[in-house]
Amino acid sequence: MIKFLQVLIDGTLVGLVYGLVAISFVVIYRASKIVNLSQGEVLVFGALFLWTFTLGMKAIGYNVPLWLGLLITIGACIAFGFLLERFVFRPLIGQPAFAIFMASIALLVMLRGTAQLVWTAETRPFPAFLPGGALQLGPFVVTTKLLIGAIFTILLTIGLHLFFTRSRRGLRLAAVAEDHNTALSLGVSVRGAIAVAWILGTVVATFGAIVFLSGRIVSLEVASIGFKALPVALLGGLESIRGAPLAGVLIGIGEAVAMTYLDPLTNGVASNVLPFAVMIGVLLIRPQGLFGWKKIERL
Amino acid sequence: MLPTGIHFSSYTGEAAILKTGRAKLGVAALLLALAALPLLSGSYLVGIGTQMFITLIAVYGLHVTVGMAGQINIAQSAFVGVGAFAAAKLSSLGLPFWAVLPLSAIITGLVSVLFALPAARVKGFYLALTTLAAQVLFPIVILGLPQDWLGGLVGLPVQPLNIAGYNIGSPKQFYYFTFVLMLLSSYAVFNLHRSRLGRAFKAVRDKDVAAEVMGIPVLRYKITAFFAGSLFAGIAGACTAWFLQFVTIESFTLFASVWYLGMLIVGGVHSPVGAILGVVFITLFQEGLHEVATMVMRGQSHAVGGAVFATTNIVLGACILLALIFEPRGLAHRWSVLRAAFQLWPFPRQ
Repeated sequence: MIKFLQVLIDGTLVGLVYGLVAISFVVIYRASKIVNLSQGEVLVFGALFLWTFTLGMKAIGYNVPLWLGLLITIGACIAFGFLLERFVFRPLIGQPAFAIFMASIALLVMLRGTAQLVWTAETRPFPAFLPGGALQLGPFVVTTKLLIGAIFTILLTIGLHLFFTRSRRGLRLAAVAEDHNTALSLGVSVRGAIAVAWILGTVVATFGAIVFLSGRIVSLEVASIGFKALPVALLGGLESIRGAPLAGVLIGIGEAVAMTYLDPLTNGVASNVLPFAVMIGVLLIRPQGLFGWKKIERL
Repeated sequence: MLPTGIHFSSYTGEAAILKTGRAKLGVAALLLALAALPLLSGSYLVGIGTQMFITLIAVYGLHVTVGMAGQINIAQSAFVGVGAFAAAKLSSLGLPFWAVLPLSAIITGLVSVLFALPAARVKGFYLALTTLAAQVLFPIVILGLPQDWLGGLVGLPVQPLNIAGYNIGSPKQFYYFTFVLMLLSSYAVFNLHRSRLGRAFKAVRDKDVAAEVMGIPVLRYKITAFFAGSLFAGIAGACTAWFLQFVTIESFTLFASVWYLGMLIVGGVHSPVGAILGVVFITLFQEGLHEVATMVMRGQSHAVGGAVFATTNIVLGACILLALIFEPRGLAHRWSVLRAAFQLWPFPRQ
């Protein structure tokens, strides 16, 4: 029983990390109607920026404090978001969804190539932002950094949710997520929305990288978390900020349970297949996800 | 656009793929040149030619699913992989070549139907996500299956192709084998455009509601489109297995899928000529880049591989983006504009 509860706790905490990455999908979609398949690569970019401005600078003799490195990284993320908006997505406004979807795939190979060319494929340590170790709560063990990450995810969810549903600017972004042409005809700046979307998406992805990678190893393979978070974003509903962490917890628990009880029987397949089985199930049963807007095109 | 003075007295002439004598001559010359290539050149060009034929067959399949029926498929490389593993397994069981090839195509088609079923509920981008799931699940499932089924992490060795007692082991023989398969696929794809099935695909792509009203069962045709596209993938996969004589999951990644899609988009989604142009253009570009990289970084071979892979990815991504932004109709459109200008000369082009 204690083992089962421990599995639940671990699953919840890891699931909230997935939720955090899923939020970075959702903010981009919620503000620009772009499902960005390259989100995993964006996360790796954030992580590599952070490495460059902290440990990388240290290696060439400049000792940058952690908080300053984080600030520079956020600045770099903002510049990165602007760059993507200006050169990739602005020319595609008003194009069919197929073009925008393909652009995000093209971006995936391009970002992967750039990361490999600039930072090379070697693995490097990630600065330890969050304290390592684990808390002992009665019979249970809770990883400290995941706990801090979980609290941060919940606070961020509340903040972003208020921004998108209460503030004037956030509501304008919702119009863009509904339809580009309608938004334009109502005087909403789609360009501005896309820029905001990418800046938010990159910054949130970087936070995700901090929680996920703190004190661990950065490599290009980390990008695969993007494909793990995509089912989470779909389950929660692509328009729903609040849905993402909840769906993350559900999938995290499912994965942890499958890992503990089913993997020994299935040669390790069950926990890997589960998120995608959930994704196909969601598409078949409730395509808008748990909290998404019900406007999925049906036959 | 046809040159002046060409008239048709029957619909058959109007609907022909090669409408003029000059077009027939041009294609005949091209085919002759391709057939003569192994006699005149070294093994390097023959290898590239073979690889191009195999890739072209896979991209034809993508053209049917994505270009004709309008269903995004980002798992073509996984489907090619299914075909390759099926061919490897079936030929290791001792089945002859004429059974292995169609069987692996059909197995691939059936697997793709499995992932096309959500078309009953969702469409467009959401349907594309199920193909993404197919691509991500492919290596997980192969690795999870018992090692003696499909080889797991190690992969499966494949016996050289054997047709009716003759070994098709040498690169030149295999070049002709893939050449013939490529010709058959081209024949199928070009004719699909003027068949009932092809017209139904295009109706579904242009407006599925209107297609339904015209009496086309949309769901069935969407699933058929995936099945048809994957038949090509299966054939390409079987060829890959015999070409490499070894199959591992390493050859069938998401990146390969993006390459296939990139070739199709750069060439032009809506015409089979686009598939040909895209495959030729991107393959030549890739090989050229490889050559340059080996020349520039001679002696540092360990660094070359990674940098070349990185650069080709950047170039491919840039090509796709440029094509999407500046010429969504692809090289095929440029080609037809060029041809029209040539045929109208000396009159100004339209």
